Amino acid sequence: MTLELNDMQGLLIRGFGNLLGAQYVLLRFTDAALGKKYISELLPLITPATDKPTDHAIQMAFTYSGFSFLKLPDEGLISFSREFREGMTEDHRQFILGDSGENAPNNWVWGNAAQEDIHLLLIIYSKDADTLAEKLLFEKARADQYGVVELHTLPTGLLQDHKEHFGFRDDISRPIIEELVENVEKKVGVTFPAGEFIMGYKNLYNEYAPAPYLSATHDQMNILPSSPDFADKKDFGKNGTYLVFRQMEQDVFGFWDYLKRQGKDTEETICLASKMVGRWPDGSPLTLTPDRADPSLSTANAFGFWDEDKAGLKCPIGAHIRRTNPRDHLVTERTQKDSSEMAAKHRMLRKGRPYGTPVLEPLEPKGIMELPRDNERRGLHFLCLVTDIRRQFEFVQNNWVNFHKFGGQDHDADPIIGNHYKSDKVVTDEFCIPEYPVKRKLKNIPNFTLIKGGSYFFFPGIRALKYLASHE
Amino acid sequence: MSTIHRGLTVTVVVEEEKLEQVNVLLHDFNQHAKTYKTAYKEHLPSTYFISWLTLPAQVYAEKVKLPARILFMTSYVGSKKQHISELVNFLGPRLQAVFEISKEFSPSIANLDDLAAFIRRKTVFQAFYSGFKFIPTQDVSREQEIKSTVFDFLETQRENADFPKKSPASVKEDIENFVKNQDEFGWASAGLSDKKADKVRMLLPLGIFLLAMATSLVCLVLSFFMDYAVLSWMGLVFPAFLVILVLLFIWLRINENNPHIPNEPVSDEWIRQIIEREKNPVLNEMTVIAPLKKGLIRRIFLGLSLRLITLVGYFSYIPTVHTARWLQLDGGRRLVFIANFDNISEAYAHDFVDSDNRSRNMAVVFSHAAGFPATKWLVKRGYNHRSEYMKGVRFHQKITQFWYAFNTGLSVENLKNNRKFREGLFQKMEEEEIKEWLLTN
Repeated sequence: MTLELNDMQGLLIRGFGNLLGAQYVLLRFTDAALGKKYISELLPLITPATDKPTDHAIQMAFTYSGFSFLKLPDEGLISFSREFREGMTEDHRQFILGDSGENAPNNWVWGNAAQEDIHLLLIIYSKDADTLAEKLLFEKARADQYGVVELHTLPTGLLQDHKEHFGFRDDISRPIIEELVENVEKKVGVTFPAGEFIMGYKNLYNEYAPAPYLSATHDQMNILPSSPDFADKKDFGKNGTYLVFRQMEQDVFGFWDYLKRQGKDTEETICLASKMVGRWPDGSPLTLTPDRADPSLSTANAFGFWDEDKAGLKCPIGAHIRRTNPRDHLVTERTQKDSSEMAAKHRMLRKGRPYGTPVLEPLEPKGIMELPRDNERRGLHFLCLVTDIRRQFEFVQNNWVNFHKFGGQDHDADPIIGNHYKSDKVVTDEFCIPEYPVKRKLKNIPNFTLIKGGSYFFFPGIRALKYLASHE
Repeated sequence: MSTIHRGLTVTVVVEEEKLEQVNVLLHDFNQHAKTYKTAYKEHLPSTYFISWLTLPAQVYAEKVKLPARILFMTSYVGSKKQHISELVNFLGPRLQAVFEISKEFSPSIANLDDLAAFIRRKTVFQAFYSGFKFIPTQDVSREQEIKSTVFDFLETQRENADFPKKSPASVKEDIENFVKNQDEFGWASAGLSDKKADKVRMLLPLGIFLLAMATSLVCLVLSFFMDYAVLSWMGLVFPAFLVILVLLFIWLRINENNPHIPNEPVSDEWIRQIIEREKNPVLNEMTVIAPLKKGLIRRIFLGLSLRLITLVGYFSYIPTVHTARWLQLDGGRRLVFIANFDNISEAYAHDFVDSDNRSRNMAVVFSHAAGFPATKWLVKRGYNHRSEYMKGVRFHQKITQFWYAFNTGLSVENLKNNRKFREGLFQKMEEEEIKEWLLTN
């Protein structure tokens, strides 16, 4: 099935990596009619997936509260998934996501629904910092004109060599959308049907991704396409998807200080950190090069664990990359096929960017370890696109990242992004490294990342945006 | 002593208007079990799990009303007689208080022996699964403790510069010497009792079945050469079994052409009520009870399937499940499924739909339940229809008013790893085996 690229916002198929400046602007409408006019005016400026902009790009996504404020018909509102409607900070969603203790929403800078009502996310990409500043000023003026209140602006900054702040190369393993592979013969690795990430297409279950819909009577101007699942309904979700946004603050000094206390020397410290991540700082995977980093493998992604490293002697079973994408080996599965099928059903399209100034450039662990702590805030604006928040994002967060029994472990949450704590019943702050003669256990691991904000958004297709701007 | 894990299911019909009365009692008993968990563990040493709930009346095939029921289901280890005796001795007054609300409870039941006999009378057949076979309750904590203590001891040895150079055999010897010197681990030196008898007991029904089929096949062949009536009759068993299976499949296929009636979507409020109870940090429980799809063949086919599942129970594997059971009630018109599993149901349900093999296996049972995806030849078309399957589970899921779990802190993998570690203690092994054993989590 051919993708309707002209009806999609560009972020679905590209990360705008050539546009170095980017800012996430969180907004709230104050008047529904003005809000619709605002969207109508912005609509021609939204970058569709057919464009490859070299100057700037604008994308937009809405919260459930935003749709509700804009008076999307009730039938449409109720057809969104429960987790989207409830929002990230609803009690049960907090429980699922492990947003407790230091990570609880009452410690967040933005996104706590009890404190503020976010309606809209505007993402502005620009070729450099100067043009980004111009665009932001321009958009601020536009928003003011329509009574749209700017709640937060979240800056970003790409780091050298595609690294994140701890000093590790990031964003290497990206799911490839099958329908975008132009030359099937040159296809490398596993591909995923578009329906895993874009609504209106079949997913891995050979079903259309569940999408919001409306009765045809609500679409008098016939803007929306027909729903593939319900003959009498219009598809509001087509060429759109859910966008999960989490601001993860990284304690770079806390991370390396802890590891320095565990390692005999710098070399062992870096090795332990790499065991936690599952890749060496340059990105080379431990599974392929367990003893030392190999720059020639820094973007290597064609590997599995079943044949190469079932026991986790190279890459520990609890390592970050093995928990967030177990590839072809889940300890609880008895075959490689079952493991691969299970793991494939929980992938996400990551689109986030780091924020804050790096502690050092280039981000080399040896150098970072020698630096004194500073008071800068830095981290990752984690964005991912999924057609099923519960099956994809929440499942990974709950069952693989935070479940301390993952893979037969005792007390281990994800060492990098897990919520580490001790309570009467639960301990999650350990990390087990299988090695001879016996496994090594790191204990009392503090939280290296803290959630500082977050929300669930819907990232509509262009026709859905048109409908939103013009519906009665 | 037998260490086979088994399930006990007791059920009685109750008048619908009395359900609330039962629910109130079960709610109180549930609080009691949480408050006095230590006493439960002490007095119910054979019991791993208890699920106790009321089941509202349901409608089968659009017209037959299935009665409201009380269901009492346990997962236990060892002898059934001993288990029932423990239950009535410790929970006797509570069992009586609940069951006497049913008209099936005879007023003549005056003592614990009578109550035990009543429970035995009201038990029903089920296909039962355990994910951590042959581990008795008393081993759960101590096997965790010994492994954890030994690895703490090894962590202290790590400071020793020679430690990484030690051979696996030498490390094993250190471990065994350490264990021998700890008074509290004296029990471990005795080793594990042989499980052969239990394994044979579990495999016996399958063995008899296969033997009967093989004998029949041999007799069939011989009957061509020898003219004995007994050979001819025995020789018919296997072909008759096959013919019956084929006929049942054809009958089922005809039934599968009935229009599919999907389940209605469930309300958010209902889902919230269910998931609100799933906040235990390691393991939780799920009960799904559904009327079957219309047609006698559904009842027959499911009954046969459950018996075949029982036969191969020893070899079955469901990841992350501690115990599970499937059974039929009300003349086979209702399917009951309960599972005690790791983590929460939103994650657990994916274990069924995310793998093609498992979706197919699950279809053998769940495709007979009302609203679950339509199939063709039992396992083709629709069996992996994820959204319909998940909707079916939530639509028919029931709230378990009373849930007791002996172990609330260890996952199935934890239990198996702890057992594997203990099995290796004081056991002769090759170097490679020791290396693997030392890697046990």
